[in-house]
Amino acid sequence: MPDVVITVEHNPVITFGRTGSREHLLASPTDLRREGIRVFEVERGGDVTYHGPGQLVVYPIVDLREHGRDVKGFVRRLENATIATLADLGIGAERRDGYPGVWVSDRKAASIGVYVSSWVTRHGLALNVSVNPAHFALIRPCGLSVEMVSIRDLLGRKVLLDRVRDMLLERLTERFGWALEASNLGEILGGARE
Amino acid sequence: MKSKVIEIRLPDLGEVEEVRVVQWLREIGSTVVEDEDLLEVETEKTTFVVPAPVGGRLTEVVAVGGATVRRGGVLGRIEQPG
Repeated sequence: MPDVVITVEHNPVITFGRTGSREHLLASPTDLRREGIRVFEVERGGDVTYHGPGQLVVYPIVDLREHGRDVKGFVRRLENATIATLADLGIGAERRDGYPGVWVSDRKAASIGVYVSSWVTRHGLALNVSVNPAHFALIRPCGLSVEMVSIRDLLGRKVLLDRVRDMLLERLTERFGWALEASNLGEILGGARE
Repeated sequence: MKSKVIEIRLPDLGEVEEVRVVQWLREIGSTVVEDEDLLEVETEKTTFVVPAPVGGRLTEVVAVGGATVRRGGVLGRIEQPG
């Protein structure tokens, strides 16, 4: 099976990783119901995360045996592709040792959480394009007192999610040496069964 | 015939120096096959599932949940029938 990259914009959802602490969920059940936010436990690394409208989520399903079995290198490529995309938009961003994700000064523009089984990656990265800031206030992201920020707030204008997606896919393609072919989920799953 | 004991070591994950053991997916005494998922380790928001280096019986867990293990460190042992 070739590498597959899935891009998606989720409905509002809060997920806990393996080391997630319920104390980092600041929203009450009433808040969650009112905002239509569902809560799930997932097997990725990391703590609590919010996904929702205005956030570009990228799930690269990559066989790391074909990429030097370098787990940290995989995360760094995701970070660097995101940093390059933000630079294309005129935003200076950086990675921080020990704090995965992409940062614009003290604020976090993209979160990363990866699960590797049989050397194949799951989960991936979430880049904030134009997320509702009130939804981020419902959690303590990754258990840290980290402020999240969207591209819209950094630029002071609206940017289309589809445009950011195309830019990020191009930067990822460069780094993973992919020859990208558009597909839909049905075709991919059909191909995997054959 | 004498059985052989094989060490389960933390594979080289690139530049990763140390990991924390999240949990074992198999119990002591269970029979495992080569490359089967054995335990989860975590480093900086990345969870990696360590596969069984060989098939056999999981006889020892050296690094329990919460333990920190350095690159190449011993996680447990598998006994192969002779």
